[in-house]
Amino acid sequence: MELVVRKNELLRELQLFQGIVERKNTIPILANVLIEAKGDEMRMLATDLEVALRSRCQAAVGKGGSLTLPAKKLYEIVKALPETDVRIEEDKNGVKVAADRFDSRMQTLPREDFPTLPDATGKARATLPRSALKEMVAKTQFAITGEDTRYFLNGAKFVLRPDSLTLVATDGHRLALVDVKHAVGVPQEVGVILPKKTLLELGKLLVEGEGDVLFESGENHLFFDVGGRVLISRMIDGQFPAYERVIPKGNDKQIEFERERLTSAVKRVALLSNERSRAVKLEIGKNKVEVTSSSSEFGEAREELPVDYNGVPLTISFNAQYVLDFLNVVETDLVVLSLKDEASQAVMKPVGAEGYDYTYVIMPMRI
Amino acid sequence: MNDSSSVRRIVHIDMDAFYASVEQRDRPELRGRPVAVGGDPDTRGVVAAASYEARAFGVRSAISMAKAVRLCPSLVIVHPDFGKYRAVSQQVLEILRRVTPLVEPLSLDEAYLDVTENAWGERLGTTVARRLKDEIRAATSLTASAGVAPNKFLAKIASGWQKPDGLTVIPPERVEAFLQGLPVDALWGVGPVTARKLRARGIDKLVDVRTADPGQLRDTVGSMADWLRQLARGEDDRPVVSEHEPKSSGSESTFARDLTDLDEIRREVAAMACDAAAWLVRRELYARTVTIKVRYHDFTTITRSHTEAPTREEDAIVGRALALLEKTEAGRRPIRLLGVSVHNLCTDPIASGDVEARLPFDR
Repeated sequence: MELVVRKNELLRELQLFQGIVERKNTIPILANVLIEAKGDEMRMLATDLEVALRSRCQAAVGKGGSLTLPAKKLYEIVKALPETDVRIEEDKNGVKVAADRFDSRMQTLPREDFPTLPDATGKARATLPRSALKEMVAKTQFAITGEDTRYFLNGAKFVLRPDSLTLVATDGHRLALVDVKHAVGVPQEVGVILPKKTLLELGKLLVEGEGDVLFESGENHLFFDVGGRVLISRMIDGQFPAYERVIPKGNDKQIEFERERLTSAVKRVALLSNERSRAVKLEIGKNKVEVTSSSSEFGEAREELPVDYNGVPLTISFNAQYVLDFLNVVETDLVVLSLKDEASQAVMKPVGAEGYDYTYVIMPMRI
Repeated sequence: MNDSSSVRRIVHIDMDAFYASVEQRDRPELRGRPVAVGGDPDTRGVVAAASYEARAFGVRSAISMAKAVRLCPSLVIVHPDFGKYRAVSQQVLEILRRVTPLVEPLSLDEAYLDVTENAWGERLGTTVARRLKDEIRAATSLTASAGVAPNKFLAKIASGWQKPDGLTVIPPERVEAFLQGLPVDALWGVGPVTARKLRARGIDKLVDVRTADPGQLRDTVGSMADWLRQLARGEDDRPVVSEHEPKSSGSESTFARDLTDLDEIRREVAAMACDAAAWLVRRELYARTVTIKVRYHDFTTITRSHTEAPTREEDAIVGRALALLEKTEAGRRPIRLLGVSVHNLCTDPIASGDVEARLPFDR
């Protein structure tokens, strides 16, 4: 195999592979990226067996073929090179990566050891609006737990209906749900659970570029084609909790906040919250909300926010981080908090969001 | 110098005339009468506890019952029922453990508590002590006296200061004044003999120990000298140690026939995990670690553990145990023994993240 590729183009692709390849893994070949030279393309593939990424860039192929190289090392080398052409060449002594006056010889692993990945099947093909999908991922992915033994919570539920898309994530304490109206193009409802890593990597692929995302659901895998880069994800097998049931309908007390004022108040007051629980209390009274905290170690803090409220006074406590997670991904000037009482789940929503409907449910803390 | 954050709040709870009060509570005809709980006067019995009415006659615990009857001819002698006292004591300890796991029982009728951090979030030891007294009275109809101080020795002296139904507080800033007035025999461990010896050396008050010649002090009280000198400075850093703090709990069972059916194995593991969760709830504890043990038919035994945020929720513990089962050869290799246990226990529900209630998915 022999090819020449532009440094910047190769670097941009290799960067996307860095999140896919796991630092710690017991199967050596998974640290490598599979490189194929064909036609006028350099194709790349890497996987951790849960998520895989297929990508390509333009190349001058001298001799077709394929080989594998360590993804991290290759990235580091390419990154350190000047803006020039990079030559990757396999000869009987190994693999040469060279550019300008730089020359290197890298360890390779047999191409045959690289796992085979499924191809898209054409089943449940749908077109997803790129910018909406980006919003959906950003507004839900933080609510997925890291290491829950209830493994279905280690992912987000993705529901495609003929006229709408829904992404829901929960860690059992809070739940983030985004609904988008869009002619998806599926004949009937499709529901799958996406692993956290898939969402994370999908988010990265959506950062730049334009054009819709093609989605396919295979036997055990999902395919997201984002501008020619294909993210392949294992589906999480399991029953996602009946999320509709925990979204309260009868929260009759509604308080609107200026998002930025609430964000800074919670941030400041949380500095003196209990370090482990991170609890902040909202003392809601006539036309004001006092955000308070106390820590046996550091002291206590409060900040008053003027609001428009005439209902019964109510005090409710939340994990400050959960509130901030929501506020950090919302762009609207106003947010609304709806409550039933101090013990039932509260709902936060952006006011006047366009193009999507965002619902964030938080369980209050018992104090 | 102590800053306020390092000052402990120690409470000593002492049930008033405990055995006698329990008897008077349960037998109304004894109320208002001098009662002594103990053995028969003619079988060399001694007084285990005396009611306050009996104390007025000079009846004290540990004197012979014969002497007690001489002091107070109208004394009602009641045979002790330790099973009953133990049950009441348990009830009281349960109340105490609600506020902190750091409860150190000294006997059936007294205990130390470290309430520096407490479940009620009360900053003042005084408030905790008052609430404990109220709860004890509400639950048992018995009174307790409480002492609140920065350490054990002062807390214990304080609880004896006003009895019955007393509450004495020695805040850090009043420790010195309190010490100044303290006779040396107020100390636990300083009996009449030692006190007499100390007085003979001019040591009347505890604070006199500070200026006493160290060699002379050692000659008088032996190994207690260093300890006395510490107490004389008002220092006692002995921690409150809850004696029977459990480290783990679990169960295991060996099966009559080896298990090969994965569903059956899962059911067994889930049942044991439920038991472990129920135990945690009973003990008001949370566990960080869940461990399962699997012994295969050939006696090779493996354990698998999982540690994350503390919990005592049944779902979570069962979930963790079943997830661990996935890491074994259950279903592929016959199993003769299964076990599930919880470790790494803690009592702080804040550390547990469980004050964060869960979204009610299952309701």
